[in-house]
Amino acid sequence: MTFLEINNVSKKFGATEAVSDFNLKIEKGELVSFLGPSGCGKTTTLRMVAGFEMPTGGRIVMDGRDITEMPPNQRDVGMVFQSYALFPNMTVAGNIGFGLKVMKKSPDETQKRVEEMLGLINMPEYAQRYPYQLSGGQQQRVALARALALRPDVLLLDEPLSALDAKIRVSLRAEIRAIQRKLGITAIYVTHDQEEALSLSDRVVVMNAGKMEQVGTPFEIYNFPQTAFVASFVGTLNSTEAEVVDPAKGIISVGGIQFTSAEDLKNRKQGEKVRMSIRPERLSFASEQKKDNVVDCTIENITFLGSVVRIQVKIGSVKFNMDTFNNPFLELPKIGDKDQVTCSKEAVLVLDS
Amino acid sequence: MKKINIWAWIVLLIGMVYFFLPLISTLEFSMKMIKDRYTFEAFRVAFTDRAFFEHFGYSVLWALLTIFFSTLLVVPTAYWVHWKLPKARPYVEFVTLMPFVVPAVVLTFGLIRLYGRPPILLIGSPILLIAGYIVLSLPYMFRAVDTGLRSIDVRTLTEAALSLGAGWGTILTKVIFPNLRVAILSGVFLTFAIVMGEFTFASLLAWPAFGPYMEEIGSMRAYTPQALSLVSFLLTWASIGLLQWIGRGRVQEQVAGAH
Repeated sequence: MTFLEINNVSKKFGATEAVSDFNLKIEKGELVSFLGPSGCGKTTTLRMVAGFEMPTGGRIVMDGRDITEMPPNQRDVGMVFQSYALFPNMTVAGNIGFGLKVMKKSPDETQKRVEEMLGLINMPEYAQRYPYQLSGGQQQRVALARALALRPDVLLLDEPLSALDAKIRVSLRAEIRAIQRKLGITAIYVTHDQEEALSLSDRVVVMNAGKMEQVGTPFEIYNFPQTAFVASFVGTLNSTEAEVVDPAKGIISVGGIQFTSAEDLKNRKQGEKVRMSIRPERLSFASEQKKDNVVDCTIENITFLGSVVRIQVKIGSVKFNMDTFNNPFLELPKIGDKDQVTCSKEAVLVLDS
Repeated sequence: MKKINIWAWIVLLIGMVYFFLPLISTLEFSMKMIKDRYTFEAFRVAFTDRAFFEHFGYSVLWALLTIFFSTLLVVPTAYWVHWKLPKARPYVEFVTLMPFVVPAVVLTFGLIRLYGRPPILLIGSPILLIAGYIVLSLPYMFRAVDTGLRSIDVRTLTEAALSLGAGWGTILTKVIFPNLRVAILSGVFLTFAIVMGEFTFASLLAWPAFGPYMEEIGSMRAYTPQALSLVSFLLTWASIGLLQWIGRGRVQEQVAGAH
């Protein structure tokens, strides 16, 4: 059942269109991420849902109520900010209980809910601490508890982990997801970190220059990007110019070297310029197992990345990255060696040039 | 061992002599009320004069009223400028600097001319005096609050409070005011010190105050005004000292918060 609808929403700042024609339906209990580079309009869209920005056009409907022009303090929307935004003059308990006091809940109910929230974020012993006495990760957990204390209809998270170090980011994002699932709350999560978006979300909205590029599950976004932007922004990608050779058979050419793609090229013309993209992990050495495409290559560079070894190969005049899982028995080629790489035709993505 | 910079000490010494010598001379002169003896007679005379307490009391009252209304005017204005109109900040700042540009005498005559006749007749009411003092204290009050607002993330804190259902009254009283405590107190002490020693407004608008009282005593007596000058200085120092003390507490708090 659709819980939150963002219908044809747009936002202009002067002559600049920050968001244009944004359409999205979010189910109850779903976590949707807005993913994109800086300035793509993801935060502006979130702020319009929160009520901090007024859309230039379109409507926002939550649980059947049109909230487009409703003030932010009447929307039943909880928000977690990148900079935590805890009130420095209040203790952890004061911060969590702030909204409850505003709503004139009884002191007993407020205290009970504060304790419940402190338990939810595993910080029951921190009730009397002040924000400056907490680490960044702890402050963000308190901010999350504060936003959840009012049991809002929708939880909005604006790059909540961006200010934290890598290790805490990973553990806290798992915690956020677990809490969101436990409470069954509808959530929108804004991030520029693709790993965060892919690991957390039920669905991801990839945005670029104020427009939605693609909406899909993390699996769909990563494996079946529909635009060149999504393909290049999400994950690492080998992308190069190519030319359609035989649309019926799905054959394209990169500098005279032919690749077969599983994509439907029937709407494309012979000789049409396209972009061919292949994920590095979809390439492998042909000596292991030959797939649909087998091409000659020269080893250009080898980079050890821990769990993965990235091998740069030159196919014709184009350089491709090939990722292979690291293992102690891995026999690596030498730079300058001639070899053959292979990939399935499903791995060959053909996008507009 | 750290090398002692002799020139730094010399400059400091010159500065201290320049600052303290007139004060010491004033003190020394005020203690010579009784011939051939150093006594605090001038202070005793000053403090046993009923008019002193009356005028001092009036000044305290004017200062408190100025502080109250100035805080009510400046804090929401500065907050709103930070939150909604950041581009207007330089213009507001320019307006607050008016007392540095326009002399107090000109300001007072301007007020008398504008409000001394209908349709708005305020002569005879302390409103004009308080309004003048608010203008006089604007550069200090606004700058103190403005600095405080810059040290907190006004926008995000406001949005956080809004998302938790708070209205503007709650945001100002529970979130903004408490986090500007030190900044507001800085403005309050400076305003207090300014109003307590102010002469022009009170004198021209004919209201009893400590400044005109000192001037009146100065034209009649020799030693008591010196004692009163020192009292006035001490009052200003006490205000600034309190300001420094509170400000120091804040720095310690921030250091502790730096994880």
